[in-house]
Formats: sequence, structure tokens, C-alpha cells
Amino acid sequence: MTTATRLAVLDPTVEPIPAHAVVAQRPDTLDGKVIGLLANGKRNSVELLEAISDVLADRYEFKAIMARNKGNASRPCPPPLAEEMAEECDVIITSSGD
Amino acid sequence: MTNLTSRILEFDDASQVIEDYFGRGWTDGLPIVPPTQDLVREFLDAAHRSPSDVIGAEPTKGRVITAEKVAVNAVMAGCRPEYFPVVATAVEAMCEPEFNLHAITASTMGAAVLMVVGGPVVSEIGINSGVSVFGPGHRANATIGRAIRLVIINATGSSSGEIDKATLGHPGKYTWCMAEDTNVSPWEPLHVERGLSENESAVTIFAALSGIQVANHESESPRDILNSFRDGMFAIGARHGELNIVLCPEHIGHFRAAGWTKNQVKQTLFELAQRTEAEWRTEGQVLPESDDSSQMISTASKPENINVLVAGGAAGAFSSIIPLWTAGNGTRSVTKRIQF
Repeated sequence: MTTATRLAVLDPTVEPIPAHAVVAQRPDTLDGKVIGLLANGKRNSVELLEAISDVLADRYEFKAIMARNKGNASRPCPPPLAEEMAEECDVIITSSGD
Repeated sequence: MTNLTSRILEFDDASQVIEDYFGRGWTDGLPIVPPTQDLVREFLDAAHRSPSDVIGAEPTKGRVITAEKVAVNAVMAGCRPEYFPVVATAVEAMCEPEFNLHAITASTMGAAVLMVVGGPVVSEIGINSGVSVFGPGHRANATIGRAIRLVIINATGSSSGEIDKATLGHPGKYTWCMAEDTNVSPWEPLHVERGLSENESAVTIFAALSGIQVANHESESPRDILNSFRDGMFAIGARHGELNIVLCPEHIGHFRAAGWTKNQVKQTLFELAQRTEAEWRTEGQVLPESDDSSQMISTASKPENINVLVAGGAAGAFSSIIPLWTAGNGTRSVTKRIQF
């Protein structure tokens, strides 16, 4: 309760929008799945994804791999590319190299 | 009575507020002015804004920034109410997608937001364009620039070590607001160059890295003065999409006497700051694959990518080169007319 002697001040922060931060469902296995590899355009980001997919390929039988590069690390993924990968892939792995 | 919706916190006195806000990570490391409801209302009224007016939405994270939240942060920064239209317009500009706010406030490159204010508001609220233009002692410059940083910290969540991963950053990240000296400059100011009238007030924002000071007390010819920018231009790298030059009054006096135009300055700097692709590579510059290592490449991709500003104290032949984040290629400066 506000009293005359207390100093009331305002919260300066803006909360994130929770609806934008839903965690995707995880599959039980990668067998038979389409794996998306999305590099962020920095140096070594492609090499890092290739190394990860090699390790995973030893353990699972993928249905297919879709490798893409968003090309510019400092810009969000172009919506058409994000939509294409979301439609085609069961799992997407991204990387940031340097 | 305007209806404020921010959460209210209560304390015994101002010193408790200051300590509590430090503890919550709501400051830039300096003490803040306690944002009371009365002060926040006064700021909103000064700009004829309602608390719920949407100033902008941070494009990547989607956080919606209302006039009320900008006002709370402007009060905390130590602004006066009459500064608020400038602060609100700068936030509006920051939310334009081409500015790339999330990236410039998250990146290891450590950009600040440099604000260049032009038009009648400069003299009306006392924004400094003269002595020690980037230094302390001028309330409008200090607190308007600081308000922008507090909005970035509190409204977009980009605080140091969290989203903000700057390797070094620079002191301009505390506050960086300036005006051009239109009395000294022989040329039209930036906002007029960009299509607004001299009677309109405007703010232009840049994702700016630390400046390089260029000294030349010897030369009187414009070309010789610009030649002393050459090494600094090389130091910031090749093919900039946008970069800023600030010319001080002593240097400007020589350009005025010689009758130079702003475009001549841009063209001459573009030509002086060229060297071969092979030389750029020797200096560690990453360039796309090419089969002609003898081709000449300039610091700027085009002469018009160089913004020329005029400011600084009357004495001293010290100008500056201010590079932008990712060589001005991943961000664009944004100019907006200030609404009162």
C-alpha cells in the first residue's frame, strides 16, 4: 500500500513476449528424419555443421540432409528460407562460426 | 491524469532506489534519477504522448516499447522533460529494421548509438555542437544519449554480458549525442542533405564504433588536410557502406576559404583511401575471392557513403573518423523528423 512517506517509482523494463519463445518438440530418434543444417554465414560455420552431421550420421540413418547457409551472420534468417526449412526438416541444427 | 501501467516499487528514499536499481541490473553502472509517476507524466506531456503509444517494436525479439517505458528510462537518465521528444524519436528510429538494433547491441564489435540532432531543437534545448563535443559537461548531450542506452538495457534486454557480448565496447556506449555546428559549417546539415528542411528538427542515429582522432596543424590546403585521414581510413578497413567524418572548425576554415563543397570532400577522401587488394590482404582484411589482386579498393564502396559532419571547439586542428558497425554494411543510419 502506498503511504505518503514512501517513494513510489516505476519499473523501466519490458518483458519478452513468451509466445515467441516456445521450445520445439524433440524427436525420440533421428533415424528416418530429415536433418536441416543452417550455417550463419560466418567462417567455419559450414565446417562445424559438417563435423556435427558426420558424428550424427555414424549413429543414425537420416532420411535426408538439407544444408543451407543464411549468408549474413548479422541479419535474421530470410523468412522464405526459414519457412522452407521448417516445412521440409524434422530437425534443424544451426551454427555460428568465426 | 494519464494512466501509467508499469509495475510500482516502493522505497524509503532515493538512495534506496538507486541501490536497488543497480542490483537489478537496470542501470549503466551510474546512479539514476528515481522515476516517479509525476516525472514520467511530465515527460509524456512534454511530447504530447500517451503512455500506451507504441514508439516501436524491437524487430528481432519483438518487444514492444511504449512511450511510458521510454519516459521512465529518460527520467532515470537525468533528462529534462523538453528533451523527451528527441529521445522518443531516436527510439523510433532505432526500431527501423535497417538499423539492425538486435545485432548492433549484441555483437562482439561493440557499437554505440551515436545520435546527431539537427534543426531548431538544437538551440532550444541546448545540445552542444562546440567545445568538447564528445566530452562531458553538457546536460542535453549527456542525458539524451544516456536515455537511449538505458532503453537498450531495460526495454530490449541488451545488458552487458547478457545479450551484449561486446569484446571491448567503447565509452560512447554510455552516451553519445551531438549536434552539428551550423554557424561554422559552410554546408547544409545532415538532415537537410537527407531531404528535410532547415526549419524542421531531426535526429539521425548511427551504430558507431570508437572514433579515430586525426590531427593536422600544419596544412592549409583541403587536400593536404584530408591526406592526414588516409592512415586512419585504412585502419578501419575496406568497402564501407557508410562511415562518418567529423571536421573541426579549424579544418573547416580552410575548406571554406578554398570554396570546397561537401561532395568534393567525399570524393577526395574516397580517392585518397584507396590501395590495392593485395595491400588490404596484407593487413588482414577479409575480401571476397578475386582474380585481380592489383585492383584498387577504397575504404568506402562509394564516395557518397561518407557522411561529413561539422562540430567541435574553435581551437585545435583535430577532426575524427567514426566507423560504423560491420563497416556500415550490416546497418544503415536512420534519420527521423522530431514530432513535438
